[in-house]
Amino acid sequence: MNGVVGTIAKAIVCVCAVFSAPLHAAQAAGTGTQRVPNLLAVRKDLGPPPKGVADLKFHDIFKTPVGDKGLEASATLLALDGKRVRMVGYMVHQQPAPSGAFLLSPLPAEISDEDEPLADDLPPSVVSVELADAANRSVPLLPGLIKITGVLHVGAKADAASGRVSSVRIALDAPVSKALLGAAPAAPKPASKPAATAAR
Amino acid sequence: MHQSRLFRRSLSCAVLAALSLAGADAFAAKVSRLTPPSELFASGNAKGPVISRFMQGQRFDLQATVQPDAGLTITDFYFSVDGTTTSPASLDGNFQLTYPFANRLGRVDESASDATCVDATSGKTTGKSGCKLAAGLPGNTVVVSQRAYANYSAGVHTLKIIATQSDGSKISAEGNFEIVAPESGYTKAKNVIIFLGDGMGATHRTAARIMAKGYAQGKAKAPLTMDTFPYTSMVMTSSLNSIVTDSAPGMQNYVTGNKANNNEEGVFPDDTLDAFDNPRVEYLSEYLHNLQGKSLGVVTTADVFDATPASTAIHTSARGNGTGIVDQFLDDRAQTGLTVLMGGGRKWFLPNPSNSVSPQPVNGSQRRKANDYVLSDDIVNGWGVARGKLDPERDVIADFQSAGYAYAPNNAGLNAAFKNGVPNKLLGLFAYSNMNVAYDKIAGRRGDSTVVDAFGFPDQPLLEEMTDKALQVLSKNKDGFVAMIEGASIDKQAHLMDTDRWILDVIEFDRAIAVAKAFAAKNPDTLIIVTADHECSGAAILGAATASAAELQAKPNSGTGIVGVYEAAKFPKYKIAADGFPQSTLIDNKMLIGYGANADRYETWLPNLYPTLDTQQPFPPSQSPPSPSTRNKDIGYFVSGQVPGDQAVHTATDIPLSAYGASAAQFHGVIDNTDVFFKLASAAMAQ
Repeated sequence: MNGVVGTIAKAIVCVCAVFSAPLHAAQAAGTGTQRVPNLLAVRKDLGPPPKGVADLKFHDIFKTPVGDKGLEASATLLALDGKRVRMVGYMVHQQPAPSGAFLLSPLPAEISDEDEPLADDLPPSVVSVELADAANRSVPLLPGLIKITGVLHVGAKADAASGRVSSVRIALDAPVSKALLGAAPAAPKPASKPAATAAR
Repeated sequence: MHQSRLFRRSLSCAVLAALSLAGADAFAAKVSRLTPPSELFASGNAKGPVISRFMQGQRFDLQATVQPDAGLTITDFYFSVDGTTTSPASLDGNFQLTYPFANRLGRVDESASDATCVDATSGKTTGKSGCKLAAGLPGNTVVVSQRAYANYSAGVHTLKIIATQSDGSKISAEGNFEIVAPESGYTKAKNVIIFLGDGMGATHRTAARIMAKGYAQGKAKAPLTMDTFPYTSMVMTSSLNSIVTDSAPGMQNYVTGNKANNNEEGVFPDDTLDAFDNPRVEYLSEYLHNLQGKSLGVVTTADVFDATPASTAIHTSARGNGTGIVDQFLDDRAQTGLTVLMGGGRKWFLPNPSNSVSPQPVNGSQRRKANDYVLSDDIVNGWGVARGKLDPERDVIADFQSAGYAYAPNNAGLNAAFKNGVPNKLLGLFAYSNMNVAYDKIAGRRGDSTVVDAFGFPDQPLLEEMTDKALQVLSKNKDGFVAMIEGASIDKQAHLMDTDRWILDVIEFDRAIAVAKAFAAKNPDTLIIVTADHECSGAAILGAATASAAELQAKPNSGTGIVGVYEAAKFPKYKIAADGFPQSTLIDNKMLIGYGANADRYETWLPNLYPTLDTQQPFPPSQSPPSPSTRNKDIGYFVSGQVPGDQAVHTATDIPLSAYGASAAQFHGVIDNTDVFFKLASAAMAQ
């Protein structure tokens, strides 16, 4: 980084690199790691994805820079449509708790579909994750970073209950789905609490 | 509440039985709200200074919430002013009525048979989704309105609502309001420019001066541009319902002359659930567009739906209703004179057919029916505005272009829009939500575009560039303009207690003011005010570090150990680059800022490499820490907060206002934010 910030950032990049990793590690390892099933837990070394599975990162979902008329699916995303992928992110804390599916976000996030639907603060790169054979099963909230594997589907689908439309979905692998449903529910909330004192 | 029963009647046995069951007080006929708000209605005090005020001919809605006796309904109503039934606005001036008077009257009530909206046991409204009235009112309550009233007679006027019940009895209540004539002694200001540094208190200005200009021997080496403005006021910023305002009334109070509730824009509060049907107050932009044909320019570094920009032209009680807000910007351009709209917020302008049929395009649109608008007949007829439509599928960028606006998606596009001459109208949407802050935009221009690339918008203009372009477009109107130019992230970064980022945003803001000052020097019939909607974070300049930059980096949890107070602070010396911003904010013996309205945070006194997650910014880099309470958690010094939540909050502290140009001398002393409206209007209407 040059200039203002420039010099600064270069000077402190090591510090930040050091503390940004522990920040995430701390969240992943924080209150409730023991409740995250092994299949979804993020360890220090993520390691290569399983055979036949490709890593998909949130920032690879859309083309950048953003187009004049909005976001567009990236070539990476389209190339992985219908294939098995692995993603790492945060389970969105939804109220009421979702059934049979949850949202995976690049940042800790919390939403309430019971509130008046004002500005939606969820990143557009949020991915809808559908559990196998669990349409009416309440999904336990897992804290911190989690990893998932499943089949990627690109194309809009509306959730009947919330009306939320997801453009990118992952059909969770059956073993991961089973492990998730077996996790202890009612884990602590993620760190982000946007509603209480958001910038006004 | 000041009200009287004109006629009493004998209650039927059935009604008496109902009263005895539910409690007589709860069902006694009364007027529970009379708008405009007044102390006469609220407390019986008929004398000022607490009274709603309007300029001569400025339009506003009359409204009352009437609670009939149990078992009765309201069959008729009318408003009277000074004992005379209100009539359509005078045909004086440029107000031209095109609809019959009766069509400007409206009423909202629940169907008594609707079990969803009126609880069968309590008889009270439920306020549930799909209902019309707020919860807790008697089920037969009615909200009655007369839209777009105006009065040309200066002085205090008595307002009365008279409602007829279904048994012929009447109930009434009195309030008052004041009509203000343009003040004398003003120099005509054809152009009015309001610079709104969101959250910018005295500390924010001083900190930017210390960083950008430097001090020696106790004196600033040079002033900020806003410091050069010759006239200054202190401004009281409270809203209608709190000593501490949010940005919606904080802005709209300046440009309506009246107080609004927190979260509300261009309206008074009401008892209905519809966020777009509240009683309206005419904005300065609408007033001067109707009266003088002035244009409106709105320029912000925030999402254009944000509270401050919306509070120049939009009428809603819910500042978060982005879909309806951006639609109304366009739909009501004939009322406001909207000519320039620039900032972030592209997500609200992209078509989203998801509420009707799939598939939804993967374009990131946030448009939803739930926060769009449709207006009732009385508002449409009274104000002559568009009805609106629940249309998330609308392509608003295309509609702006069809309406003659040049569209700029980035800085290159902004410059390109001027290549063949100055466009007549301009729409600039430079980010998905809020624009990046100066700290990160400047880093990008200096070669490290990590953050702006991560946000997906590497080519965003600085506020000074947006200001220059806006003034070029607006000044094409020979009748003048009203412009609101906002440094939005002074507030947003102060909320996040990201010191380096808000200071650079004040510097960016001041450089935009310099552009306008140069414009005013060439166009002396221009009035510029620089102010804020409120202070944010209780920021305070503590002193300066007694440590070098290297020492701070080596020990980021130094905490109070390196805070140099009084003479130990000396004079921090920042080097300014050719672009006008500091080469680095991490210098030896750097200035240190504390926060009096702080939430929990971990302080390192170091710049943060990545911006903290802004909850209104839905496209952040993954490295952004979620909040100050987790940022630097493993390396910083813990500072216990004094407020709940994750962010610092606004304060009720008075804020400084600086004025330059035509009629600037009228700004002095300690004034209320609503006073500013009457000064701006008087300047615009001076002969």
